[in-house]
Amino acid sequence: MSAIELKNVSFSYVLSETEIVRAVRNVSLEIEEGSFVAIVGHNGSGKSTLAKLLNGLLIPDKGTVKVFGIDTKEKSTIYEVRKNVGMVFQNPDNQMVASIIEDDIAFGPENLGVKREEIVERVDWALSQVGMLEHKKGTPFKLSGGQKQRLAIAGIIAMKPKVLVLDESTAMLDPQGRAEVMRVAHELNKKEGMTVICITHYMEEALEADRLIVMSDGKVVLDNIPKLVFAQSKELLDYKLTVPLATQAAIELENLGISVGKDVMNKEELVERLCPLL
Amino acid sequence: MSIVVKNLQFTYSANSPYETRALKDVNLTINEGDFLGIVGHTGSGKSTFIQHLNGLIRVQEGEIEVFDIKLTNAKKPKPDLRKLRSHVGMVFQYPEYQLFEETVYKDVAFGPKNLGLSQEEINDRVKEAIELVGLDYEKYKDRAPFELSGGQKRRVAIAGIIAMKPKVLILDEPTAGLDPSGKEQILSLIKNLKEKCSPTIIVISHDIDEITRFANRLVVFNDGKVAFDEPMKELFKHQQELVEMGLDIPLAIKIANELKAKGIKLGENIVTMSDLLREIVIAYNKKNGTNIDVSKIRKSVFNFDFSNSNQEEVFKDE
Repeated sequence: MSAIELKNVSFSYVLSETEIVRAVRNVSLEIEEGSFVAIVGHNGSGKSTLAKLLNGLLIPDKGTVKVFGIDTKEKSTIYEVRKNVGMVFQNPDNQMVASIIEDDIAFGPENLGVKREEIVERVDWALSQVGMLEHKKGTPFKLSGGQKQRLAIAGIIAMKPKVLVLDESTAMLDPQGRAEVMRVAHELNKKEGMTVICITHYMEEALEADRLIVMSDGKVVLDNIPKLVFAQSKELLDYKLTVPLATQAAIELENLGISVGKDVMNKEELVERLCPLL
Repeated sequence: MSIVVKNLQFTYSANSPYETRALKDVNLTINEGDFLGIVGHTGSGKSTFIQHLNGLIRVQEGEIEVFDIKLTNAKKPKPDLRKLRSHVGMVFQYPEYQLFEETVYKDVAFGPKNLGLSQEEINDRVKEAIELVGLDYEKYKDRAPFELSGGQKRRVAIAGIIAMKPKVLILDEPTAGLDPSGKEQILSLIKNLKEKCSPTIIVISHDIDEITRFANRLVVFNDGKVAFDEPMKELFKHQQELVEMGLDIPLAIKIANELKAKGIKLGENIVTMSDLLREIVIAYNKKNGTNIDVSKIRKSVFNFDFSNSNQEEVFKDE
């Protein structure tokens, strides 16, 4: 079953009477329930606009976005849409609402009108999912960036969404923080069956997804399993993107006449291919 | 010598329950012409350290000499902070958030104006700075900064700093949040600035594969101290310790380690991807009797190669 369905979706920002930015142009997509989808694209390619269309933060100018069959255009059911699609943004400091961690996590379910006993349960569940239960009574302001983003994820999953959208949620983190956040996202996908849509500039993160969508100038230009997308390195370069570093090395070795194959994705594969040759 | 730091210590929220010792006895000399990379995980003290260098944080203990300006905890004589900040330019993380003027020209002119320069000198500097970051002066000077793309805004913010002609330029995570081509543009801009603007450059970065591409010296902060200070190629002798500190090591080193563990002989001194490819080619030639020319390895393995084209032209494409 598809969790989200986009049909011929377009969205433009009107800056002035003469200036219109066509951010998303006639995009049709289906996101399968339970899948882990990465979206990459250059700055201004429309990927963040696309993310905001997924839970009705933006409403398409043309076309329809359906979340589990519900049209995001319908004002009467918009809360149903937002409940199902939770979003985590880039800046960890902009997503905290309370000075005590458990209050921060309770904010979402409280607003959904969840009963008190269940809120208590959900707070503990959400915090343990992201490995932050021990910080429950603490304050968010003293945490590292990675911890804050995991907290932001906990705040979202406490509302029990079926889809989690990470909009460049690792961009401001150090390598350790990035790894923590990605691990949590993959665990939620595998253990809880949550659909995860991860928008990122890191090709190494995109590599871990089941499916990789490449956007350029508001359109979906590539859509396949990551290995096959990264095999199209020339096209990616045209879209101002790159491939993982290990793949770059493999491509250069191929160019020099050392055939390791251009489909190498990570260091393990590169080492494996190189061993018999050296 | 540009900057000499002696026994620098700094504590946040002293005498409160939140007391944090951010810097514990930091000693460092930064020389003119250094292309210095600073690494260290979040909370290691590196940001606190660089904020000292242009007087954003007052020295609590120890002393800093920046060119001829002395910074200590003494109340008198007051250091000439205006002069200090004209010597040391600081580009913060996400500097585009700090644009505030109505036009690109005014924003870039803000710094030089505060230096008390003549209008003519200000004009010259603004024009030069905007062109140096790869934007067309006539086309962009009257635009509102908010109309620009993310990468362009960041370049305008950097222009505002270099218009003050700093002798030392400090950049905190200059490529954070940019797409791969934006990253490459900023990196080649930084290299260009070293040649044409500030001879000494200090860059903080979390991306070890990126920083090893340009830094010639690396300083590692850990727990408020300088843990290592080495020429770039030498640092990774300490790779074991770096991993224990929770820091990343370059992918090329990881691959070389794994190949060596499988009994493949590779030369020493592998740090960058070009180093690794060179050693792989040598080993391949030896085993297979081939004659692949190592000089054919491209410097940038696969990226947006700006080196052949005029940089200004590449930027203008955006």
